[in-house]
Amino acid sequence: MSKESNQSSDVTMSAIENPKNISLIALIVGVVGLAIAGAGLVFGLFEGDSRPWFSWLIGVAFWMSILIGSLLLIMITYAFDAGWSVIIRRQLEHMVSAFPWMALIFLPLILQPWISSQPGILWKWMNPDTLLHNGHTVGHDPIYLWKEVYLNLPWMTIRTVAYFGIFIGVSMLLRKYSFTLESDGNTRWVNRARRTSAFGIFGVGLGLTFAAFDWFMSLDYHWFSTMFGVWYFASSVRATIAFTIILCYFLSTRGYLKGIYNQAHRYDLGTLLLAFTVFWAYICFSQMFLIYQANIPEETFWYNLRLYTQEGGNSLWWWIAMSLVFLHFFVPFFFLVFYSTKVSVGRLVFIASWILSFHLLDLYFNILPGEIMTTDGHFIIRSFSVTLFDICSILGIGGIVIWSFLRSSKKVKPIPIKDPRILESIHHHE
Amino acid sequence: MSKDTYGIIATFDTSPEIYKAAKEVNKAGYSKFDVFTPFPVHGIEKVMGEKRSTLGSFTMIGGLAGFFTGMAIVAYMNFDYPLIVGGKVIFGPIFPFPIFYELTILLAAFGTLGGMFVLNNLPKHHHPVFEYENFGASSDDKFMIVIESEDPKFDESDTSSFLEKLGGYDVTAIPHKSETK
Repeated sequence: MSKESNQSSDVTMSAIENPKNISLIALIVGVVGLAIAGAGLVFGLFEGDSRPWFSWLIGVAFWMSILIGSLLLIMITYAFDAGWSVIIRRQLEHMVSAFPWMALIFLPLILQPWISSQPGILWKWMNPDTLLHNGHTVGHDPIYLWKEVYLNLPWMTIRTVAYFGIFIGVSMLLRKYSFTLESDGNTRWVNRARRTSAFGIFGVGLGLTFAAFDWFMSLDYHWFSTMFGVWYFASSVRATIAFTIILCYFLSTRGYLKGIYNQAHRYDLGTLLLAFTVFWAYICFSQMFLIYQANIPEETFWYNLRLYTQEGGNSLWWWIAMSLVFLHFFVPFFFLVFYSTKVSVGRLVFIASWILSFHLLDLYFNILPGEIMTTDGHFIIRSFSVTLFDICSILGIGGIVIWSFLRSSKKVKPIPIKDPRILESIHHHE
Repeated sequence: MSKDTYGIIATFDTSPEIYKAAKEVNKAGYSKFDVFTPFPVHGIEKVMGEKRSTLGSFTMIGGLAGFFTGMAIVAYMNFDYPLIVGGKVIFGPIFPFPIFYELTILLAAFGTLGGMFVLNNLPKHHHPVFEYENFGASSDDKFMIVIESEDPKFDESDTSSFLEKLGGYDVTAIPHKSETK
């Protein structure tokens, strides 16, 4: 019935085959996963166990990074007036439709301190009675008292609302411009989108930086690093490019991008992936290097916590740190540096999946380790573990994001045919 | 004969013609030929049978050389004149890393630049095709193809008629060196 065509000029407007099935499966995975992870949150509250709350936060961190990266890539390609990426930009526009759902998923984390009797289960500074390793409670901790003006619950809530306001606002504007262009063909929407992007890059950049400070860095609020936000930026864009490569692989082999997404697009995405691999390593190394070089206890404890056991030996986290250096940087770098990797479908999808997996491990490394008090009053460092709740929260949020993607992709044409640069993108060549 | 001829040049009027001609020349087994066009014709390097440039390996060699040079510099200086600074080790992978990677980048860039010169046979102040008096048209509105006499399949009369058969006109043999000079 529908004519399958591999000709790049023949843009068939058929949606994904069996879109209902996939989006239904995604929705079921999402709801079930979130239900189990949510049960974990309740269980954690009753047991006083913060680990399920970290599961939720890691799931949020992983998918937020991909959504923020998508939004940034849309804006960056707009800002540079890039032609090649137009067909890919439309897919990213569907991705960012999940931002409102992410806000809903984030809600329990920020609502819990307001309504629960034990507010500091995730962010320990929220509870003034939390006992710290130095013998103080948070309420009497001089470092906290200095930071209280910034790290307090009302202000944190306002900021979180503002971050989601920026992400949702900018993404909705850009989606509206792009989708309206589709219906009326008026190119002033492109100009508006470009103008919005120019300002949006600042807004989203600031938003993600402070979001990384508030959500992840403040878990260990004694520590501070101005590079932490850049780390989250680099990781986000890198993960997004890897995710886009996998997404476009599926869309081009069994979806609506068949015959449109070609080798040159793949090559360019691979090149960007290489660039952000280097950038991620540069940022991570710089942060570690400066702290190592300055050698000030206020900063070094964060790495000591992650690398060494209390007896001074290497902890499991040390091995994870080494795997990040060698498997998350050197292997992808030397793999991607070759031209043949970037044009081969299989190899590129392989390394993109590899990078996404290690991106998740990187998030574990940055979020999970911390001091926890055992029942007999000792402090131990939370060790690396992957729990059922982790898997459920990551898959669950992923299901919601995929469902939102498919839901949005049914609203408009698979590629923006009225975009002034659409031909350039379809005929993109190396 | 072929010693005093650099090659045979033919002129075409449109880019589809030159595209097809380049394809045919490559199919006929010629390897030493070049195409001159007033603007980039995309994909022509593929039908010409051009391989991917090996410039990347120059970059890689330069980069690796830079990395190990940096390492050697730091190792030599720190072991030759041991001085503990800031409680750091004499030699390690972290504190001198900026030197390693800055030199990696520097020598990789030099390798790329130098490699580009080597692969393009630069500097080159003159090229035999300039001997062809109408060559200037190839940067205006004409498309030209040159089959060099060094090609093993080259034969002056065969190659000329082959180019004519492809639709080229003004088929001319270019002398190697201008006698008037």
